[in-house]
Amino acid sequence: MKITDAAVYPYPLGDASVRRLALEAAALGFDSIVAADTPSGTYGQVEVRSGLMIRDVPVKDVISIVKRSKDSGKVISVNAANNSFNRAVIGLKGVHILRGIQSADKLAFDHVAAKMAADNRVAVDIDLCPIIMGRSVARQRAIHRYMDILVLEQRFEFPITLSTHAHSLLEMRNVRDIAGLCSLIGMDVPDVERALAGIGTVLTPPKQAVTVIA
Amino acid sequence: MSTRPPTLREKRRYILARIEPYGTPLEQKELYYAISDAATSLWGDATTGIITPAVVALEHGHVIIRCRRGTERELAIALSTVTACRDVRICLRIIAASGTIESLRSRFRQKKIPQAKTHSESEPESEKTATGTDEGVERVLSECTFAKKTFQIVHCNGQKVDVIEKGFKNTNRLFLTKDDLENLNATTISDRI
Repeated sequence: MKITDAAVYPYPLGDASVRRLALEAAALGFDSIVAADTPSGTYGQVEVRSGLMIRDVPVKDVISIVKRSKDSGKVISVNAANNSFNRAVIGLKGVHILRGIQSADKLAFDHVAAKMAADNRVAVDIDLCPIIMGRSVARQRAIHRYMDILVLEQRFEFPITLSTHAHSLLEMRNVRDIAGLCSLIGMDVPDVERALAGIGTVLTPPKQAVTVIA
Repeated sequence: MSTRPPTLREKRRYILARIEPYGTPLEQKELYYAISDAATSLWGDATTGIITPAVVALEHGHVIIRCRRGTERELAIALSTVTACRDVRICLRIIAASGTIESLRSRFRQKKIPQAKTHSESEPESEKTATGTDEGVERVLSECTFAKKTFQIVHCNGQKVDVIEKGFKNTNRLFLTKDDLENLNATTISDRI
């Protein structure tokens, strides 16, 4: 089980180099990070996975981008939009994470999408940035959305990932802080551990329910 | 008003946190306002009133924060939402919690702050620009280039190098490592930083 921050943005998107982010991640208790637009590698003890964040594009373009980078080993995530878009994206083979659910509309992720996510092993990302950086209404709304998603997660058991969306070292948080912040949305320690290992769950192929021995 | 005997005093706990980035000039009062604001925003007035956060010491890049015993968890969560102090971006990394200030002080005294150099130190510029390492004392370059831009090094500790772009337009700190500078600018860095 690898404890992973599911989204960080190294330089030039952020203000820290990928090596420095990896160094900091190791100090904060992570085993791996998913870095946007960065080649994969291992820096020190931390594995850096290449992440592809797709946002603000129609489904047609998402399909072509996913097709192009299917075998690249990248962690592909798509920003959530309306309900039909989310369902279409979850149904695509090759998409690993659905992000930004807190800023999508209220009905963007319903029980049908949750069931599809569970079947296709697409994780829903919990972005801690609005809880850390947000104040008043923005934070309250995010907490409410995440609690709503967790209700669906308990029912349908789709994977969850946790990310800080850090553009800087100063926006990264250690594992204990993350557990504390997640307690605000009703996640206990085993839930947090499972969510931190969510990237591994998404990237490993599912075990077959029935194995034919002979 | 006479002080209460120890058994009647309310029990308190102290949290030690490291302030990042290193060398950020902060005032105790401003930091208290930032922490209080974060706690109030997250937990509301009633709970913050119970927590009663207070900054009791700010020294060597560390802060000691007092709270009521039993509310350390709430304070720790609130501390993780502190992102700025008077428009200066900061981050508080919690190191330990204890029942006495002295034990926390001994923790960061024991740890000894790494031999790091910042430009606030009063040293001649010629010494700062020296390269190489001399018996644990790290010598730093005052300038470096990264991604074809010239930066001024503001802090260097082990592998970590904090830089600020030269000029008055962009004064944001960049967080790099020595390897970044060496790989990208092998021609501009003479030896090591």
